[in-house]
Amino acid sequence: MNDFTDALQFIADNTALLWSLTLDHLALTGAAVGISLVIAIPLGVTLGHLHRGSFVAINVSNVGRALPSLALISIGVAVLGIGFVNVMVALVVLAFPLMLTNAYVAVEGVDQDAVEAARGMGMKPHEVLWKVELPLALPLIFAGIRTAVVYVIATATLAAVAGAHSLGDIIVDQATYRLPGVLGAAICVAVLALLAELLFAGLQRAVTPRALRLEERGAPTVLLGNPDPERTVST
Amino acid sequence: MTAAALPLAAAEPVIPDFGRGSTCVRENGAFCWDWVSDHWGDTLRPALMQHLALTAIAISLGFAIAFVLALAAHRRGRLTTPVVLVTGLLYTIPSLALFQLLVPFTGLSRTTAEVALVSYTLLILFRNTLAGLAGVPEEVRDAARGMGLTQRQVLWTVELPLALPAIVAGLRIATVTVISLATVAVFVVNEGLGAPIYAGLQQTFKTELIAAGALCVALALIADGLLVLLQRVLTPWTRVARSR
Amino acid sequence: MKQGTLRTILALVAALALTTGVAACGGSDNDDSSTNGSTQAAATQPGKGKPAVTLGTKNFTEQFVLGQLYKQALEAKGYKVALKQNIGSTEIADKALRSGQIDLYPEYIGIFNTAVAGDSKAYPDVNAAFSAGQAYARDHGYTLLPLTPFTDVDALAVTPDYAREHNLSSVADLAAIRGLKLGAPPEFRERETGLVGLERVYGIRDVDFSPLTIGLQYQALDDGKIDTADVFTTDGQLQSGRYVVLDDPKNVFGFQNVTPIVSTKVLRAEGPEFATTLNEVSRALTTRAMQQMNAAVAIDKQNPADVAKQYLQANGLV
Repeated sequence: MNDFTDALQFIADNTALLWSLTLDHLALTGAAVGISLVIAIPLGVTLGHLHRGSFVAINVSNVGRALPSLALISIGVAVLGIGFVNVMVALVVLAFPLMLTNAYVAVEGVDQDAVEAARGMGMKPHEVLWKVELPLALPLIFAGIRTAVVYVIATATLAAVAGAHSLGDIIVDQATYRLPGVLGAAICVAVLALLAELLFAGLQRAVTPRALRLEERGAPTVLLGNPDPERTVST
Repeated sequence: MTAAALPLAAAEPVIPDFGRGSTCVRENGAFCWDWVSDHWGDTLRPALMQHLALTAIAISLGFAIAFVLALAAHRRGRLTTPVVLVTGLLYTIPSLALFQLLVPFTGLSRTTAEVALVSYTLLILFRNTLAGLAGVPEEVRDAARGMGLTQRQVLWTVELPLALPAIVAGLRIATVTVISLATVAVFVVNEGLGAPIYAGLQQTFKTELIAAGALCVALALIADGLLVLLQRVLTPWTRVARSR
Repeated sequence: MKQGTLRTILALVAALALTTGVAACGGSDNDDSSTNGSTQAAATQPGKGKPAVTLGTKNFTEQFVLGQLYKQALEAKGYKVALKQNIGSTEIADKALRSGQIDLYPEYIGIFNTAVAGDSKAYPDVNAAFSAGQAYARDHGYTLLPLTPFTDVDALAVTPDYAREHNLSSVADLAAIRGLKLGAPPEFRERETGLVGLERVYGIRDVDFSPLTIGLQYQALDDGKIDTADVFTTDGQLQSGRYVVLDDPKNVFGFQNVTPIVSTKVLRAEGPEFATTLNEVSRALTTRAMQQMNAAVAIDKQNPADVAKQYLQANGLV
């Protein structure tokens, strides 16, 4: 494919530009994911531990998943103006529900026998949380983070229309970079998403207690209704 | 065409009064209901209708193709990998790029938008349908065959009904995904809710941005909700399973 | 679930697909019903029976207005016009014209020469620029129709405070500023009527360039994110008095009267009245008129189609 080789040529010729935009892209992603993490994970873990708020915690991700990204950015520009902050906030709104629900389901769904056993051994509630529930919940929590990160990377390409910078700058500007440039930048986004997925998949495996690695954790996929929750479409 | 610049008309042209926008609109206030009601008919409603049309066509076509492919792959396992690979590849291309890459082939038209949107729904619907079919317990299939049902009858009376939850779940995801991606179609054809969003972005006109954005969000949530209802209606037996 | 029910549902889905497909194919792109037949007698319908044309417009307000002006005037004479609005920048519009996806679009003569014809010569006057452009166009299968009286050139605008602070009255004064933050559409970077020309003619080199979608530059200027923005001299926003437009004494930004570029084949197929209709509209477009129309869309947020209709009606063109 002629365009494909041209795209690779574009990547080779423009590494400095692509690198700089990749860093911008990662900055947006990092900020959005970081903020979501800090709010969603503790909240989800707490709710799950207390077995409270199940309706909200589960349905917020269904709602969140349905939100159209460009529409959110659109509202964000109206409320917050153009620039990094607006796009970041829109990305937080998209990432937050995914992480919250996963964290909640992860902790809430920990095998109650294990929890009973721990209480039987005399552990206090917070010890149960830190020594039993969290370690068992970590894999699923990480799955949520992983899905959110890939989704944010894909969506951050739209930042260009809202005055923030990312690899989307090239994809939006066919006039200057022509189709090889558009395809080249698209390939970079895809690679970035893939690398993030591999990284977090590795992290997820690393935090899975060895005993659990042998089982298939099937329940969450059915909950989200998608056999492959990590598959989200790039925007 | 001898003279390049045209001589001015004998009299200065008449410039009519186009009407001042309300203060809210001129100051780009937070949200101007008057603009929304004035321009619902010429801007917002057409965009909404176009968006619905784009979505409906993409989902129907995508479902039809994915369903056929999934049935074929269910029968012959060998088809699964190539179809998953091709549709998976499409999935990773940012939609903004895919729309532009199709233009040389299908033009600046609705067709381009639809080709891209259908491609994206294919993966979701194919995988979900196939997973649903594959998830039918083997014993159930054996029992059905044991009762004397043919391959076709097993498919239509046993496997597909049991696969329905996964299929409808896939429809749900595909629908909200298409509603979201159809906004990006504005880069190739000036239709759908992406049009007022983009127009609003070009002037940072808050009212239009919020009106179009909110319409799109509402559309997605309503579609999602309706499909949840559909899922409950079609699969009453799954309600028993959630006994928390 | 009964076998019959499942079949019914799938049949319904198929029916839905068919009906939406038919309904969608039935409507055309952006079809706002024409104001045909309001004042014209049946005899003055030279467009009847001629093949439909596709008119494209680029990605900013003035183009939307121009597109509507030309479209509605043509439709009043019986021509069938499909409008592809907001297709992108010059480079994309030109590509669309060459590949036949559109048959005509309104272009600015200066941009045509520099960005399409690749000709960065500075012409002494607009007629010379037009002749040069027409020569190129003829060689490539299109025709430039006569120019509008109004010209809409790029300009650099700053806030009044910034102008006072740095004592700015002309673009030349910007050369002295280190790390000038300039916001403009991405294509500005490569253009003779952009950064390239600014560097060559005024020596403006130390620029921190921010690519911005057209329209966002005013917001960016207001928010202080950029020092100076690339604006168009007929922009509605400039009517507000909130911005200072810097002079361009060496005419880097050139002449930018509008000429409808039409595929020569289509021009012949549509007959002589086609060009005449377009020219009548062009004649009526003065700088002041364009500014008012742009302001109506950009500031009063009117619909370009409505604004165009009112203007054409006031001047007897529909």
